Amino acid sequence: MSSHSQEQQPPLEVPSPNTAAITTVPTKPDTTPPPSDPKKLLPEPPDYITVPSYSSWFRWNEIQECEVRHMPEFFEGKSSSSASKNPNVYKYYRNAIVKKFRSDPSKKLTFTEVRRMLVGDAGSIRRVFDFLDTWGLINYSPPSGKPPFKWEDKDKDKDSIKDKDKEKEKEMAELTPPAVATHQSSGVAGGLNSRKSNKLCSGCKAACTIACFVCDKHDLVLCARCYVRGNYQVGVNSSEFRRVEISEPAKSDWTEKETLHLLEGIMHYRDDWKRVAEHVGGRTEKECVARFIKLPFWEQFAEPADMGEEESMSGKDQVDAESGTEPPAKRMRLTPLADASNPIMAQVAFLSALAGVEVSEAAARAAVAALYDMDHVRSRNSGQLQAHSMKVQDPATESSGGSISCTPEEARIEAESQLKQEEDEFLKSTANIIEIKVGY
Amino acid sequence: MKSQFTTAYRNPVKFRMPTADNLVPIRLDIEIDGQRYKDAFTWNPSDPDSEVIVFAKRTVKDLKLPSGFITQIAQSIQSQLTEFRSYEGQDMFVGEKIVPIKLDLRVNHTLIRDQFLWDLNNMESDPEDFAKNFCADIGIEDPEVGPAIAFAIREQLYEIAVQNVTSAKEIKVNKKGRRGMEYIPVSKAGVTAVDLAKLFGSKSSVVRKRKDWDVFEPIVDILSNEEVEALEAREDRIAR
Repeated sequence: MSSHSQEQQPPLEVPSPNTAAITTVPTKPDTTPPPSDPKKLLPEPPDYITVPSYSSWFRWNEIQECEVRHMPEFFEGKSSSSASKNPNVYKYYRNAIVKKFRSDPSKKLTFTEVRRMLVGDAGSIRRVFDFLDTWGLINYSPPSGKPPFKWEDKDKDKDSIKDKDKEKEKEMAELTPPAVATHQSSGVAGGLNSRKSNKLCSGCKAACTIACFVCDKHDLVLCARCYVRGNYQVGVNSSEFRRVEISEPAKSDWTEKETLHLLEGIMHYRDDWKRVAEHVGGRTEKECVARFIKLPFWEQFAEPADMGEEESMSGKDQVDAESGTEPPAKRMRLTPLADASNPIMAQVAFLSALAGVEVSEAAARAAVAALYDMDHVRSRNSGQLQAHSMKVQDPATESSGGSISCTPEEARIEAESQLKQEEDEFLKSTANIIEIKVGY
Repeated sequence: MKSQFTTAYRNPVKFRMPTADNLVPIRLDIEIDGQRYKDAFTWNPSDPDSEVIVFAKRTVKDLKLPSGFITQIAQSIQSQLTEFRSYEGQDMFVGEKIVPIKLDLRVNHTLIRDQFLWDLNNMESDPEDFAKNFCADIGIEDPEVGPAIAFAIREQLYEIAVQNVTSAKEIKVNKKGRRGMEYIPVSKAGVTAVDLAKLFGSKSSVVRKRKDWDVFEPIVDILSNEEVEALEAREDRIAR
């Protein structure tokens, strides 16, 4: 029997959505253990709740614009003044559901549980429940770092960012094909195109490569690009897609020997992935490429190319990728280039590597500045974006090469480490002072 | 008194739940292969029918019931909704009707017994609000009690409303014979309306007589596990 006091507990939990949104981004936990991870391992009803960053608007005592948009039945028309469907009732349902979930975040909250404990009609309770579920305010646990499943979490991201960033994504998607075309020998593109696939995307009528997204409900097959672009019908929800891998890698771990062969092959054959794959033996081209990208030092092997057009594009790509698909970008960058399952990110990473460190940096800076100018007239949501862009700018100026693209997350980590350093210095100096004083 | 009833006859109201929101109480009691599923909740009849299937699937998934339940649940909900809707076009008689509502329910470990008067004529009444306040005032900790109370009230109101519809129909039939008119509501309606005038008649005070206090006081018991088991066993026996 759960005990529910009648008052909300805002003092305890209001800080958490904010801090969680800032410190805990959906991407972080699945890569290197970031500082916030230990907090989540606390056994007791946590002081910290993880909330995806796109839901950081949530406040116990307020109702936000997006809630009004998504749940109009409570807010508009004459039904909104009726006893059972007014904003107060909505707030009551919402807060009760979120509180119930947060009392035990490890357990998945079911609708039936909620419905049984809330006074009201089953239909509207269900809608509020689904809304909170989609926005990750309940039943949300940070992704546990399995790259193949990242697309499922990204479904949620797509929902929320689709609207504001659709243009950017389109831009980016449009840019990458020409960029790819200019690299006849680019391993990623080459590897992709050579793969035979029987699936044709219903969106762009191109052959699907790497992975496609299938929606059974409406019988759609979309390639990754179209899926990301949101290039499907109006009535289709992005969460209704499931990811289907086209290429089936052996999924076995790369042995050292294989990795060695891979590196050798790359040294000798550079971009000719076919021969590299032959050299490795037993691995397809795509696997080789994927593995190569995953290696932490791969950018040293990639040669800077001298194509000016491609530099600016790659720079723009990565910035668009960053700002346009923020959560996935953050996820990517923590162990840089760790995951090639996002084809767009893989291409961006590859291109920026080819362009070289300084060039990409300069391009990124320029693009960010341009974006910033565009952005600062927009609404508060993209204000976040701008804050992130600014963060990108600053570390870009002081990064000492080595990092190819600076994301907000990296910037933040750097800032934190610097902060720590300063703290240590400070402590040291105070210790000295104290010593001296005590010495007297 | 005569005039009260006769004026009410002249303006029947279209059938609806005599509450602020037209919500239908739905009760489910399905048994498949020895597995029993009992539930009760309120439903908004203006929700689209697709909602029914969604709800059925959701419930089966949440409670991990075998999938045979889905169709049964959906059918049961649909039939109750259809029944409700079939009354909707018809007229309902609501006069000055203050009816006693009785609560006698057990939710998990909480036992509630209560009786209070409810005004059927008040189309703005709100059982949900009542339930919420009840739990808050009594300090009931189990959150499942609130919906159960709201449901119980609604169910009784629904029954009375239905009876009113049938009685309105019969009254129309009997209108030819005027003599019988006044006697009908008392005998046909299952629940006797409390005659306010008689109750408070000569006295000008609205306060209840002391001897009636016990009848109208809510009794809330928290049961221990053994008592709960005993009660459940008894209920099962009665059900069979």
